[in-house]
Amino acid sequence: MTINVNKKIDLAERPSSPLDLNLKIKIRSYYNFGIRIVGHLILFTLVIICIFPVYWMLVSSLKDSNAIFDPNIFPQSPTLDNYTYVINQIPIVRMLWNTFFVALVTASLHVLTGLMAGYAFARWSFKFDKVIMSLIAMTWLVPFQVTMIPNYILISKMGLLDTLLGLIIPHMVAPFAVMMLYQAIKAFPKDVIEAARIDGVSDWRLMLEIIAPNLRASLVSLFILAFVTSWNEYFWPLLLNRKIENSVAQIGLQMFMTQEGNQWGALMAASTLVSIPILVIYMFLHRHVVESFMRSGLR
Amino acid sequence: MSKRIDIFKKQLEPWLFIAPVVMSLGVWVYLPLIQEFILSFYEWNLLPNSPKEFVGLENYESLIRLPEMRYAIWNTLLYILGIFPMSVLLPLGIALFTQNLGGWSRDIYRTLIFVPMIIAPVVVAILWRWLLNKDHGLMNVWLDVLGFTKIGFLEEKNYALSTLIFITGWKLIGFSTLIFSAANANIDKSYIEAAKMDGASHWQIIYNIRLPLLSPSIFLLSMMTILLGSQWSFIYINILTHGGPLKSTTNIYYLLWEYGFGSLSVGWSAAAGVIAFVGFSFIAYFCMRLMNKRAIYDN
Repeated sequence: MTINVNKKIDLAERPSSPLDLNLKIKIRSYYNFGIRIVGHLILFTLVIICIFPVYWMLVSSLKDSNAIFDPNIFPQSPTLDNYTYVINQIPIVRMLWNTFFVALVTASLHVLTGLMAGYAFARWSFKFDKVIMSLIAMTWLVPFQVTMIPNYILISKMGLLDTLLGLIIPHMVAPFAVMMLYQAIKAFPKDVIEAARIDGVSDWRLMLEIIAPNLRASLVSLFILAFVTSWNEYFWPLLLNRKIENSVAQIGLQMFMTQEGNQWGALMAASTLVSIPILVIYMFLHRHVVESFMRSGLR
Repeated sequence: MSKRIDIFKKQLEPWLFIAPVVMSLGVWVYLPLIQEFILSFYEWNLLPNSPKEFVGLENYESLIRLPEMRYAIWNTLLYILGIFPMSVLLPLGIALFTQNLGGWSRDIYRTLIFVPMIIAPVVVAILWRWLLNKDHGLMNVWLDVLGFTKIGFLEEKNYALSTLIFITGWKLIGFSTLIFSAANANIDKSYIEAAKMDGASHWQIIYNIRLPLLSPSIFLLSMMTILLGSQWSFIYINILTHGGPLKSTTNIYYLLWEYGFGSLSVGWSAAAGVIAFVGFSFIAYFCMRLMNKRAIYDN
């Protein structure tokens, strides 16, 4: 695409003599070629910086304890010993299941509550709707560390310390999901909604059966975003979880690090196990994942 | 009568749809914010049976007197300044320089430089703890090979803060690059063609056209860095250094955490939380005003 643009400009410049034109095009194409090479070099370096630590995690996890300090960046005689060690040492499968469950429920709730609220704001105007909307939009200004003590007190009063429910409930709503679905539903063709209403379709069914299927792409990317975020969540479970078998994978990993911090091979194997689900999702849906993260801004 | 009920039902309906979001954010974000404010005037140790004692402004007074608080605020500033090059400047430069790269290579770069963003922070912390390990970490092995002395990246006072800043930045750099690249690719080509026809140089185009049109993204990422930078670092402080050595890596949010769940001085934590929240809200307000005034949108 960019090549086309450049060509057009070269033609548009119309220099005085044809010889001049040839020389100019030649110089410009060398120049562009040079810029391109440097560009590739820069991005390649960036890729190495971003990927190498993850690669090193995989390689280290496949080394046995004799080879772990060997700085060779290719695995010599890969072994799965570290993985069996981790599986025997901590209930990692149980913790991965817990994490999966929490992430699945949280993500579903984000999508559902976001869809409902987005629908309401797009469909009706009611008292205080603007005020409520801006309060929802402003929640990102309130840092977790400021609300953590009252939240902790409330959860412990509810008797939900050390439970998966306690991890889910405070995070069942994502302000970003509300805002995004509100925008999407507002852009939805009005006459379709109008026609359905004349047919006497209830708002609930209208939302679920007409609007939701048409917003599939947005809903899926919100779901992935929420799933990944919830999978990676660390501080809230750190506050709530006591027993390792009730905890999520991130906490298990942190506990494992505190106990066996210098068992590097095993630690890398545990880190890999915790990362694999996310990396697999990313492998298949990388476009979706990148786009949903970029749309959400940073969280 | 039934008509009245109908009207009432109509008015109630939006509220039913937004109820989950409103209740959840009310209970888990805004109410805790008020509670935190109230707690900041009390002395309490988080144990349910011990009494809360009203102390007025004493918590705030002691915080202002404590050198720890000053230290934490100063470090918060250093974190923000340190992350800035990796979350804004470098990605902006890379995006501008590599705009001509297209096709399949672009997709691969995109997918790979985004990986740090989806890896769990706990895993990121553990990865770098291994890579930067003083005795056997790959970085130190390489330093050793090159003839330098080994560095305790996380153990030495002079390096620890920079190391945590680097890790925080490492997670963001790919994401920011993609944000800028996307914004850069969205710039209307006709502006650039027109400028080229008028004989504008490469640098003039960047300075006079691209940068102003990228200003919304620049403002957004800068604001994110300022407001969230110290929150992003929090997890690495918690896992890797616990604020040490000699408090050199602590910041305002880590201080909140230490007071709250470390030394169980809820009042101090709450007071520091209120200070952080109010401070950052002011900053957010000014950032947004500046953004509305100065950012150039292409309508």
